[in-house]
Amino acid sequence: MTAPAITAPASRRRSYYSPFEIFVFALVALLLLAALFGPLVAPNSVYNSDIANSLMPPSAAHWFGTDDQGRDVFWRLIVGAQTTLLSAFLVVTLYSLIGVTVATVAAAGPRWLDEGLMRITDIGLALPGMIVALGFAAAMGPSLQSAVIAMAITGWPITARMLRGIMRQTMEAQFVAGAQVLGVSRWRLMTRHVLPNSLDVLIVKWAGDIGTTVLVLASLSFIGVGAQPPSAEWGATIAGARGFVSTAWWTVVAPGAAVAITSIAFGLLGDIIQVRRDPSLRGN
Amino acid sequence: MLALRVYSWFLVRRLGLTLLTLWGLATLVFIMIKMMPGDEAQMAAGADASAAQIEAVRERLGLDAPVILQYLGFLGRLLRLDLGTSIVTLQPVLSDLEKVLPSTLELVFFAMLINLAVAIPTGIVAAHRQGGIFDTICRVAAVMLGGMPAFWLALVLQYLLGSVWRVVPISGQSSFGMAAPVVTGAPVVDAIIALNGPALLDAVHHIILPAAVLAALFATQIFRTLRASLLGVLRSDFIMAIRAKGATAGRMLTRHALPNSLNPVLTLSGTQAGAMIGSAVLVETVFARQGIGAYMFNAVAQKDTFAVLGSVMFIGSVVCLVNLAVDIMQLLVDPRIRAAQLGSQSQ
Repeated sequence: MTAPAITAPASRRRSYYSPFEIFVFALVALLLLAALFGPLVAPNSVYNSDIANSLMPPSAAHWFGTDDQGRDVFWRLIVGAQTTLLSAFLVVTLYSLIGVTVATVAAAGPRWLDEGLMRITDIGLALPGMIVALGFAAAMGPSLQSAVIAMAITGWPITARMLRGIMRQTMEAQFVAGAQVLGVSRWRLMTRHVLPNSLDVLIVKWAGDIGTTVLVLASLSFIGVGAQPPSAEWGATIAGARGFVSTAWWTVVAPGAAVAITSIAFGLLGDIIQVRRDPSLRGN
Repeated sequence: MLALRVYSWFLVRRLGLTLLTLWGLATLVFIMIKMMPGDEAQMAAGADASAAQIEAVRERLGLDAPVILQYLGFLGRLLRLDLGTSIVTLQPVLSDLEKVLPSTLELVFFAMLINLAVAIPTGIVAAHRQGGIFDTICRVAAVMLGGMPAFWLALVLQYLLGSVWRVVPISGQSSFGMAAPVVTGAPVVDAIIALNGPALLDAVHHIILPAAVLAALFATQIFRTLRASLLGVLRSDFIMAIRAKGATAGRMLTRHALPNSLNPVLTLSGTQAGAMIGSAVLVETVFARQGIGAYMFNAVAQKDTFAVLGSVMFIGSVVCLVNLAVDIMQLLVDPRIRAAQLGSQSQ
């Protein structure tokens, strides 16, 4: 006698992921592909102006039309995806590193250091982040690099505060008490035992952070302290096309839609990861 | 007596935190000044200043002294409300900003009104029919709006409503020749002071779209918070008891469920009031309105770095003070926070 099959027939097997989740994954994957390979496949006309063809409406040759320099709007968006996403990844990575360092030093150090660092974190949380970043970027001289550095040095307090809270919870776990009994030093206890077991909160947080960072970066570029006009960065593109909104709406609508879609896609990815980790959040 | 002691204790702690934050902000701005490439005196005096003028600025700012003395001098100037001088208007930055602050506060006030007037009713209806069509549409709209860049939304709506459909004026704060005499600098308030009906309508007409755009981003947060909070309250036993007693859905929602779920919304709208002042920089300039955001935007464009940093100091301070005011108001409004303060004091 053979054992009964324990798998359901192929036709009734449901995917582990819902269609909506697959859609979000595909969207994020497309954006990443554009960012990685966009500049390699983009035609040369992206960089050269062609005044004879300026401000052409969307057509088969130019899907999203052309801008005031006659450059193809669609391909400039694809090229700009690299600048925008790379900068956003850099910003989130940098401030996460600062946040992790601050939280770990606070947790491992003496009480006065913990208090001091957490008060500094409170100050950072109480200030309007975008305005302070704007100040740093303006002071260093407006450029994409300045904006990235400015956002990295203003973005860390939320991460530090959150991680410090989680580390405090982790420190109450049995295995930490066990390590303490074995005589592990406080610094080693924090970096080797408590920190690795608290870090998954950052894995949940990063996707949503990319979404908001893309928005703030575009805003800084629009104000004029981020990427400067010839750059294909989306915020700078909108700033450059501002004057043409009534004659050639596509030059403004397309890059803004790119920012919105990217920000929404990464935000939704963050939500999906969060619900997958904690299904009780579903429906809220 | 006890209540009085709790209040004063809370006030002392909260004021202390505010002072600490202002000091932190001042230190950050000082670091920004030190990060500027090139000669600081040259930057403060302007690109076409003479050598003698630059030397005079160097003398006045004490730039030959050690950094620690410069820092103390900087803090001293801030205490005397000296935020530096603009190289474009040649006026103290503070007096420039004071003139345009009322206009920004008016914009933020209207944005907050629209924010709450839209987000609270939609949040109630969405939570009441959780998973229904209205709920789904609102949630999708909230996700979409939350991801849109505010300045882009401003540009697109300005184009559609202002120049294609001509429902609202394209830009500015009042039509030519319509404005009431300037008293406060906030057009709507000025029109009310002058008892000028047409000017009032005109000013409101001009402020609606900018305020709605500013509100959009924040309304999605209020909507989500209220919806989640209401869903939690609607699951509790006392709601079932109220329904069993025969209360209508409307009465159950507005008289019982809503007051019990408004607390997180109040807290959030408090922080939002401060954040809105910062976000005004993205909206004011698109609609050519006066305000601290537009001032800052122009300062960036004209490379007037000291005016930018002065504005950072000013906006940061206003946000801190608004947050302080909101916290104190909450203490007066919500007995539960009073109780929490009482608890933390006895620990």
